[in-house]
Amino acid sequence: MVKNYDAVVIGAGNGGLVASARLAKEGKKTLLIERHNLPGGFATSFVRGRFEFEASLHELCGVGPITGKAPLLKIFREIGAADKIEWVSLDEAFRVITLDEDNKCDYSMPLGKEAFIAKLAEYDAGSATVVSKIFELIESVEKTLDFVEAIEDFKPSMIKEIFSEHTDFLKVANYSVDEVLKSFGASQKTRDILNAYWCYLGQPTDELNAIHYFTMLHAYIIDGAVIPKGRSHQVSTALLETFTENGGEAWFNTSVTKINIENGVATGVVLDDGTQINAKAVICNASPYNAYTKLIDEKDIPEKLKKEVNAKTLGAKGFAVFLGLNRSADELGLNNHTYFIYPTNDNRKCYELSKKIETNDVQATVCLNKAFDDCSPKGTSILYMTSIFAGDEWSNVSVKDYHKTKLSFAEKMIDNFEKATGVAIKDYIEEIEIATPMTYARYTDAPAGTIYGYEASKEDGIIKRIVFDLLDKGIPGLYFAGGYTVRHMGYAPSYTTGDKAAKAAILAMEKEAK
Amino acid sequence: MSKNKFSVNGSFKDSVNTVKFLTERMHFVNSAEAVLPTRTDDFGVNKVAKSLHPKEQKLVISKIEKHSDIATSYFFKSETAPIAYFKAGQYLTFKFEIGNAVVTRSYSIASSPASALAGEYQITVKRINDGFVSDYILDNWSVGDEVTAYAPEGNMTYCPLRDADNIVAIAGGSGITPFLSLARAISQGDENCNLTLLYGCRTSDEILFKEELDSLCEKNDKINVVYVLSDSDEKGYEKGFVGADIIKKYAPEGNYSVFVCGPGGLYKFLETELPKLGIERKYIRFEVFSSGKKVIDAKDFSITVINRGKETVIKAGNNETVLCALERAGIEVPARCHTGECGFCRSKLISGKVYIPEGEDKRRVADMQFNFIHPCCCYPESDLVIRIN
Repeated sequence: MVKNYDAVVIGAGNGGLVASARLAKEGKKTLLIERHNLPGGFATSFVRGRFEFEASLHELCGVGPITGKAPLLKIFREIGAADKIEWVSLDEAFRVITLDEDNKCDYSMPLGKEAFIAKLAEYDAGSATVVSKIFELIESVEKTLDFVEAIEDFKPSMIKEIFSEHTDFLKVANYSVDEVLKSFGASQKTRDILNAYWCYLGQPTDELNAIHYFTMLHAYIIDGAVIPKGRSHQVSTALLETFTENGGEAWFNTSVTKINIENGVATGVVLDDGTQINAKAVICNASPYNAYTKLIDEKDIPEKLKKEVNAKTLGAKGFAVFLGLNRSADELGLNNHTYFIYPTNDNRKCYELSKKIETNDVQATVCLNKAFDDCSPKGTSILYMTSIFAGDEWSNVSVKDYHKTKLSFAEKMIDNFEKATGVAIKDYIEEIEIATPMTYARYTDAPAGTIYGYEASKEDGIIKRIVFDLLDKGIPGLYFAGGYTVRHMGYAPSYTTGDKAAKAAILAMEKEAK
Repeated sequence: MSKNKFSVNGSFKDSVNTVKFLTERMHFVNSAEAVLPTRTDDFGVNKVAKSLHPKEQKLVISKIEKHSDIATSYFFKSETAPIAYFKAGQYLTFKFEIGNAVVTRSYSIASSPASALAGEYQITVKRINDGFVSDYILDNWSVGDEVTAYAPEGNMTYCPLRDADNIVAIAGGSGITPFLSLARAISQGDENCNLTLLYGCRTSDEILFKEELDSLCEKNDKINVVYVLSDSDEKGYEKGFVGADIIKKYAPEGNYSVFVCGPGGLYKFLETELPKLGIERKYIRFEVFSSGKKVIDAKDFSITVINRGKETVIKAGNNETVLCALERAGIEVPARCHTGECGFCRSKLISGKVYIPEGEDKRRVADMQFNFIHPCCCYPESDLVIRIN
């Protein structure tokens, strides 16, 4: 069987869903293919007993309740999904605690620029001036990024504009977070607090590109963060509903077996039952690992694309413990929404320790009831803890040792949480589920159970990727969306790259029509 | 816009660095090898994931052991790939093509996790009234036959971070199998809990695996087995039903978790018995089962099924689940648990009304908002339009 579409989208992850919704909204006849029975990829939820657990989202930036200017809300409104989702705004940024007995730190920070600066001054009296300056830089850099991100049809003349109008950006473009903050005279304590989000990127701040990290601070601290009440599954399903309402077709439990390339141009896909789908654009929400090794003939992959994948290192591998507790958050003393718990303030050391199961003590933990208490039945609460692994030690865990290894690491995370916060939770666990890198590999086909795409190394930060992406598009007709593209993996970046992929495909279709 | 306001290492050095910014990336990419990257399936993590959760398993019946006129154990091996490892208490879902119907049914695994590593599964099938599939198995499966099973699933497994160290397992009839697996796992050192097994049958003739259970009990301090007969008074057996009194008599001191697996009547009885013990909710776990719908006025409806863009119209009664109607019509549905829990069969209800028995609606909040259903626990109450794929 042969069927014709304007666009075919491989994978209903965050990138694929937004791309599909945008294409359908713009009147393009679109087919979305997903091998699972659910939309969302990582963005989903699951039910155990009387609890519905969020599978991966800690807090969503980009919807921006504080400034109302965040880019993601604009996308959701434009494609018609915004009204289907119930958002809860957060007040709190994070509480960061270190386990290090000799240098125990415990800081709780709010969202909102003024509140954040004021609170930081309480912890570090001399910080106000330098932090204000840092935020001024962050806002200036963000303007440049908005400019670069808005470019749909790149022209060399735009480089001139970047060089003449965006010098702040260019000044810090090639430095790490540490280099910039130190040069500004930020104290160790101020840096410890400002850098607390590092685990959301999985990269230590001595090599993490400053602009990359600043965009994250901007998105969280300045724009604010939200939680969808129906978990990320509500967002995924809302996007799917929007897509089908606008005439899109979504086929689940269906796999793509091949991306057709003719004369160097992507022309469609083949499905598991042999169906040929012809399309003017192929949006790929699968990782390049899967696309290049399973879907595209090797002869059709340009050398540069192969080099690009091999040059990069896979980002952090995920591990999560989901707890349904039979006491309320207040009864237990769970007072915070987001806890970052680190073995030490030295995030380079944390990162190195996170290469081994034995030594990894990093966790980012959420008590969902602190966002909205009715997320679980009265008298209960939901706590979920995520850890990240650098390296690939889980690949050495055998099938036989799997359950034991998973259980003992989960127990260590619970012990660390109790130790850091002084809150006893162990006796109140009514439901528990544990996700390992194998779980992420199972559900998303992520190589090695990666949850963060590629590492954002010094040589390959987000900004460099964006610039190079403007200069070279890879295989015409094929557009990648999601966690392995120019942005880092994560909710807002994946949604955003999905939208960009769709817009690029639409632009190409329009050019072709002319 | 502010210009040159910020400087990291001085204006000149910053400018030099900006030029370096682009050349570094070019060098970074150009110095890599122009070969295909590692296949996702070749990472150790992905190999283990695939081994634990294969898409499906082709199993060959290696041995059949008849326990009585109505109960038989089937043993399986795989000739093509290692069989998937599991946790004691999990089940296997098998796929059957019977006449025009394509159906799935789940059976708890009776063998131990260690025997899966050695390449073997065991399930036990009992003939029951109106047991469409169990009858089919008992009348048709022979040694050497190839059958299709999915990966092991299920949540009635022992977790030391959640459950008490002592498990009081209540089994009714063929509900013994997940606990036989657990007892075997304890004796092999793969699980570390104390097991008090309260096994209810009508008469001593109906007890399955008695010899092995007695032997496990005798050889292992962690395992204790008590047989409870409802229909006959026999020496060496408890008489009656497994309820609060029997549990109190045999439960160990301190905290214990109650695990239950058996026929519908057992659950109904325990619903009134367990509260008498004052056990915290977290210490009670039922292997879920479907209660069905009591139909007073039988009616027939039609279901329009959308599957990969194609529409098919099938007939359905209000006394059967939507999944049952789909299976009977020969439409393959990725169903597993048949109790509303696992969510594999999740489908979009585009129009029409369904009935979901109380306690069986285990959907996500957003699925209720957007009208997605689990066809395995929904009964049609009007003509329906659903999208399954």
